[in-house]
Amino acid sequence: MALSEDDVRAIAEYARIGLDDEELTAMTAYMNDAVELLRPIVEFDPAGVDPTFHPIGDLSDVMRDDEERPGLSLEAALENAHAKEGRLFRVPSILGGGGLS
Amino acid sequence: MRSFDELSAAEIAAGVAAGDFSAEEVARASLDAIEAREPSIHAFLQVTEELALERARELDRARAAGEKLPPLAGVPLAVKDNMNLIGSRTTCGSRMLEDYESPYTATCVARMVEAGCLPVAKANMDEFAFGSSTETSYFGKTANPWDVERVPGGSSGGSAAAVAAGEVTLALGSDTGGSIRQPASFCGVVGLKPTYGAVSRYGVVAFGSSLDQVGPFGRRVEDVALAMNALVGPGRDPLDSTSQDCPVDFLEHLEDGVRGLRIGVVSELVEARGVSAEVKAVVYAAARALQDQGAELVEVALPHIEDSIAAYYVIGPCEAFSNLARFDGVRYGYQEPGCATLAEQSEKSRAKGFGAEAKRRQMLGAYLLSSGVYDRYYYKAQQARTLITRSYANAFEKADVLLLPSSPRTAFKFGEISDPTEMYASDLCTISSNIAGNGSISVPAGLGRETGLPVAVQLQGPAFKDRRLLTFARAVERAFEGECAVAPAFAGKGGELA
Repeated sequence: MALSEDDVRAIAEYARIGLDDEELTAMTAYMNDAVELLRPIVEFDPAGVDPTFHPIGDLSDVMRDDEERPGLSLEAALENAHAKEGRLFRVPSILGGGGLS
Repeated sequence: MRSFDELSAAEIAAGVAAGDFSAEEVARASLDAIEAREPSIHAFLQVTEELALERARELDRARAAGEKLPPLAGVPLAVKDNMNLIGSRTTCGSRMLEDYESPYTATCVARMVEAGCLPVAKANMDEFAFGSSTETSYFGKTANPWDVERVPGGSSGGSAAAVAAGEVTLALGSDTGGSIRQPASFCGVVGLKPTYGAVSRYGVVAFGSSLDQVGPFGRRVEDVALAMNALVGPGRDPLDSTSQDCPVDFLEHLEDGVRGLRIGVVSELVEARGVSAEVKAVVYAAARALQDQGAELVEVALPHIEDSIAAYYVIGPCEAFSNLARFDGVRYGYQEPGCATLAEQSEKSRAKGFGAEAKRRQMLGAYLLSSGVYDRYYYKAQQARTLITRSYANAFEKADVLLLPSSPRTAFKFGEISDPTEMYASDLCTISSNIAGNGSISVPAGLGRETGLPVAVQLQGPAFKDRRLLTFARAVERAFEGECAVAPAFAGKGGELA
């Protein structure tokens, strides 16, 4: 099943990656080539085989002692943010009408 | 006067401990070699001169005070730029993280520095480790020291090239589908992908969390063994819940030889379409050399190996899409100014911050994880992973290690492979051990008779038998000793040590 440009536009929206028209055309061609490369998986019939989601098969929860310990300082946590206000990361409005400039 | 690039890590550490030269002199020799060689190579995104000199002076003061020095005292180290190191930027070769200052230090880097290494530089890489040539770095390409018209491989191309050019003695890379072994092969250096879980991933920017593994590059197997002692020695890292407790001495059996051990030759990969004649010739020459040293050759099959590329290109992009969702321009990373909504800011920041390949992989991952598609691809890829792991388990009943090519061919020219799907196919030899999680190493085995470029063989072992891999790697090295050291065009260029 080939992916159309509309399909790819919807995926880009979901992935929050803006694509212009030229990029959309190139990405659609790529996605169809890549999906073709993955055909062996679709044709693969592994009935009854359990999946392995992780190379460490018996991975179990690793808990540390419930003791207070220092973490990243506020200053370090905010250091790489472009927009901040006091102790907070600053973001534009969720719904619009009050963006950062 | 001789250049520090003639010395192994063990020789540098011994020289510093004996007072033949100081750690600061070694740091300055490395910085001098970088100045002389870097304009032709561009292995580095940042030279962390102050951090290297500061660590060197600490070691020199410790020696003056009569303290016992750590095992890698004074050894210059390059770190792939997806590993955090306080006092440096960690860019992942991406515009997205162009200004990102490391807020903490990755465990793997901290352990190497604690073991005495001097963190000299952050190494170039394919953007977010998506690539096999280091051509996708936002900050420009890295050249292969054996032929500067060619790629160093990738994604840890800067790390491999820096060691091959003799700018540093050791480097750290990360390997999600071959990103240590393939550049090691292209650049004629030793590169180890340890078993998944052997080395902590804390502080390494994630690509595929069930596939990524950190490992060392060196010009000698012994140097890689010393680096592994530093990386796994202290045991599991409480900051990485997937890290395992496997402290062993990697030097202990290095010189044991391979007499009586079994080498499994994976003919279906040696003879696979796309494997060049010179690579085949080198793999068979290595097999004969190991046989001459007393190993027994056995023929081994790896059923389902052909499914590993498809499985990898499902699992890798899915995990990458999940991991890279964090780059939304809010807490760190490129932020598009003047957006009216958070969604617009996120979409535009990601559009401008990520390069083409990073977008492609995330788009593919987003599609494969979408409703109705997941069952046809992602779930089945994880079932294929079970079968690939079983194939390995069966193979290791017949053989102690497997022998196969590290790459189907030697280093290619810049721009020679422009189709991303063709680039993906070049990962055929390396991907399966990321899928199964077992350790693998690429060891130089001379120069190709057609291209005159470095060719390597790959050894793959059972999970958590990485020490055995190094014993075999040392046997290969013994057979081809002296054929691949610092790339001839750069050997001895700057870096004099009194």
